[in-house]
Amino acid sequence: MKRKVLAVVAAAAAVAAVAATAASGAVKADPGITKSSITIGGTFPLTGPASLYKTIPLAEKAYFDYVNDTQGGVNGRKINFLIKDDAYSPSNTVPLTQELVERDKVFAILGSLGTAPGLSVWNYTNQRKVPQVFLATGDSFWGFCATKVCDGSKKPWTIGWQPDYPGESRQYGKYIAANTPNAKIGVLYQNDAYGKNYYAGLRLGLGAKKSNIVDAETFDATATSLAQQILALKSKGADTMVVFGTPTPTITALVTATKVGWSPTTYINNVSANRLFLLAAAKAGANVDGVVSTTYVKSPTVNAGDKAIKQARGILQTYAPALVPSWDSGDSNITYGLGVAYTFVYALKHAGKNPTRASLMNALHEMNTSNPYLYPGIRIFTDFHKGHRDNFPIEQEIFIKWAGGATGDWKPFGKLLGGIR
Amino acid sequence: MSRGLVTRLGVIAVAAGIVIVLGFRLSDYHLGLGARIAIYFIAILGLNILTGYTGQISIGHGAFMAIGGYTTALMSYYHHTDLLLTLPLALAVCFVCGLAVGIPALRLSGVYLALATFALAVSIPQLPLKWSKWTGGSNGIRTFTSPGNNWLYRVCWICAGIAFVAAWLLLRGRTGRAFRSIRDSELAAASSGVSLPIYKTLAFGVSAAFAGVAGSLFVLVTNGYAQPNEFGVLLSLQLLIGAAVAGLGSLYGTIVGALFIGLLPQISTSVPLIGSGHGQDVVFGLIVILVMILLPNGVAGLLGAIDSRFKSAIKSDPTTS
Amino acid sequence: MLGLSRKTKVSTGASLPVIVGIAAACIFLLVGCLVSNIFAQQTVAGLAQGAIFASLALALVLIYRATEVINFAQGELAMATTYIAYQLTLWHVSYWLAFFLTLVISFVLGAVVYGVLIRPVQHRSVIALVIVTVGLFILIDGLVTWKWGADLKFMPAPFGNNVYHAGGVSFSRQDIGVLLVSILSVILLWVLFQFTKLGLAMRAAALRPAAAALVGIRVDWMLAIGWGLAAVLGAVAGLMTEPSQFLQPTMMQAILLYAFAAAVLGGLESPAGSVVGGLAIGVFLNLIGQYVGYATSELRLPIAFAVLLVVLLLKPTGLFGRRQVRRV
Repeated sequence: MKRKVLAVVAAAAAVAAVAATAASGAVKADPGITKSSITIGGTFPLTGPASLYKTIPLAEKAYFDYVNDTQGGVNGRKINFLIKDDAYSPSNTVPLTQELVERDKVFAILGSLGTAPGLSVWNYTNQRKVPQVFLATGDSFWGFCATKVCDGSKKPWTIGWQPDYPGESRQYGKYIAANTPNAKIGVLYQNDAYGKNYYAGLRLGLGAKKSNIVDAETFDATATSLAQQILALKSKGADTMVVFGTPTPTITALVTATKVGWSPTTYINNVSANRLFLLAAAKAGANVDGVVSTTYVKSPTVNAGDKAIKQARGILQTYAPALVPSWDSGDSNITYGLGVAYTFVYALKHAGKNPTRASLMNALHEMNTSNPYLYPGIRIFTDFHKGHRDNFPIEQEIFIKWAGGATGDWKPFGKLLGGIR
Repeated sequence: MSRGLVTRLGVIAVAAGIVIVLGFRLSDYHLGLGARIAIYFIAILGLNILTGYTGQISIGHGAFMAIGGYTTALMSYYHHTDLLLTLPLALAVCFVCGLAVGIPALRLSGVYLALATFALAVSIPQLPLKWSKWTGGSNGIRTFTSPGNNWLYRVCWICAGIAFVAAWLLLRGRTGRAFRSIRDSELAAASSGVSLPIYKTLAFGVSAAFAGVAGSLFVLVTNGYAQPNEFGVLLSLQLLIGAAVAGLGSLYGTIVGALFIGLLPQISTSVPLIGSGHGQDVVFGLIVILVMILLPNGVAGLLGAIDSRFKSAIKSDPTTS
Repeated sequence: MLGLSRKTKVSTGASLPVIVGIAAACIFLLVGCLVSNIFAQQTVAGLAQGAIFASLALALVLIYRATEVINFAQGELAMATTYIAYQLTLWHVSYWLAFFLTLVISFVLGAVVYGVLIRPVQHRSVIALVIVTVGLFILIDGLVTWKWGADLKFMPAPFGNNVYHAGGVSFSRQDIGVLLVSILSVILLWVLFQFTKLGLAMRAAALRPAAAALVGIRVDWMLAIGWGLAAVLGAVAGLMTEPSQFLQPTMMQAILLYAFAAAVLGGLESPAGSVVGGLAIGVFLNLIGQYVGYATSELRLPIAFAVLLVVLLLKPTGLFGRRQVRRV
């Protein structure tokens, strides 16, 4: 009996405490936020094997600086974005994230790049209830695990941004099954979770046609040449090549295929479909016409006439002039960074006058907005109301095909694809 | 008690005092950093037993750390083994692995041994990728529970203390004499009755066991997350750098070596020398080279030169002896 | 002097069983190529890749022979010099002019590295030398990333992009070019060592420094030239890697690992051995990848290093090395 009373009292006290904090609102602000500033940070591979993604954080920073200067920040708070270099290794991500959270007292972790780095700290950020926002990786965990137990617990403080990898490769599978039902498919994928997820999605999309896969070869991140794998695919009689890799090996694969006198119909994943990389492959001799991929962000070149894209160039010129040359040659990673930063600013605006970490997550869990940096028609949408469990901000993509060889560009075709998760 | 021993005990007591006091004063973030330094301390201690005292070079200790780390992660993940219990387990597994490497290594010396151990450093971290079904591959694998920084700081430094005492006891006795005689001259050691195969293999085993414990703890400070990239070649090289900075053949210098590799990257990131984050590598590389050129016997050698009682400035040269 | 030139002759040094084994392997490859197109194609691709391993392995061997150093920074030096060539092409220097200018610059760079960094620690332990080269590795990596950034860069294609077909096998001009340039540089080096006074002096300085000094050879200069030549070979390897791997600071790191394996396979003391070792590893890895299902890509490096370990344990001096009398 006594125990029961105690429990009731305790429960009441807890409710009262929660109500009190809710009512007092800004009495005790969360770390990283003051009247005039909000500090956020992320870990990115500025050096090492994945460092070609470093334009992403630089673009994000440029956008925040632009918002700070032209709009005085968000609700009068200037955004201070800290970039840490983890060289893509979890043993660096962990101490650097601790440094961001405990020493630099960031309000949220924004945009940290890579699946293994993200996995290495998501228990930590969720235990401490630090928002781990817009991880730059397309694994499904970030979307599903807000409401599902993963790795020991639910991860409601984590959210991704881009469309999910297996969902994307399912589209290639469907497309191949529908348009070239007799294709002999050779798959070349990176021998890690990233490549394997893509491969699994492809098989799912192919459905009954997955028996058309005549060979699947893997390659290692340390590969010095892909000739052996490409030759193996060719020797098995494949006429369609699907490549799931990071940009450098994908370019190498395109070049090597041409070099060994093989010209299959080629599909590459979105991550590697940056115009810069295709131009490079073409320059190195690859036959890139007809390569198929997908995109969800606007391209600085394809969408050059677009108002937001025109304006973006101005932003970069002022706040990150070093990025302008690669912007002009069509680096869609920069659009990606701008898009992420835009979405963060949007969420922050919707997190209340005095945002807390919890109110930021609430805002992130009910986004419904367009984004000037996304391909026209694609919306950012999450929904945690009424039993909905949608924690995937972007679920749409569009097919693109390359034309014009070494001076060419992507051409979007077909309808917007939905349900990518 | 000799005067030397008293001084040494005094130094150790002061060091232990500092570690304990820091344990209460440091912020959570710095406790994590402190735990890492303890881990480097243990690993460098192990490497020093092999390279500094027995004269057998190893550029492969990251591989033993990987084995130890994965032992902890796998046992905790699949059997929910208590994290503390996985430490002796990692120790035992790595001791056996060390012996297994030590036996073929008997045939090698100098650069050849360096290359063979380097091969281990490169190859072992690739294996979890091959057997990704039960190691998690590139997505890594996590221990069932992951401790906080306070726990880590204490456990890591207690382990470091035990490791130090164990190393000291081992090296001051018969075994230590045998190790040193092998380093100074294998021929002379053999002719005075020291069994080269037994002691060289033993040195490998002990050294690997230290690295194994360090690897276990290394996984624990990485939020209990084991992933192949953590145990890359760079880790092995860092340990060797730490041992050399410490001064090969000096137990006391080890702490300086651990501080060096644990803190230098932290410090050099904030050097505004060239900005843009790459100053770190430039500064780290430069300091490594300068230390090697200017301090032939590491920090311990420097101290030894200053204080002649500090008789640890031993030339360690496994090849040309 | 007489004894010296006999002992230091850059002969293959291979024993009869090794020569027979290599001949057998060549016949096996030849027959395989005639029987199967894919076998032939994999062999050609393996040779092109192996030629790059061979160049870098030869650089390692040159340095080892001259100064008994295993240069962990060899790959990064090669990478840095490739960036220099890239910078030259940015300044509108034509590719081949940039190529040769880079070789000259590399030579100077290699010699300077020896004089400034290696010479002060040369007579210390193996460990000290290894660590200095590791420090150099980190330093070069930092400098290059600082100057040029870590994103991919691209140079003009040196050989054009044509593909030739012969009997169902495709040869790209690029692969053939890479193979020819690498082999040509090896031959030139061999001629230098074997038939010139400078080459003789260098061999003398490396093997009997004291005696060489007595006959008036400036030993330090000779060793510096050795380092310079190794850097030139590295630059060739880097420039020949660029067309397939493109320019990035990590481009030579994996290649260096294979080059280690190649150098040990051939014998650390044997230039000819390192070339054979490089080609052999290139071909072997490709064939094993094609025909052994279990040997998936993550095992390429472990397999290469398993070869290295087996060689070290069974014949530590490598296929082409001679057993050295151990100095006590």
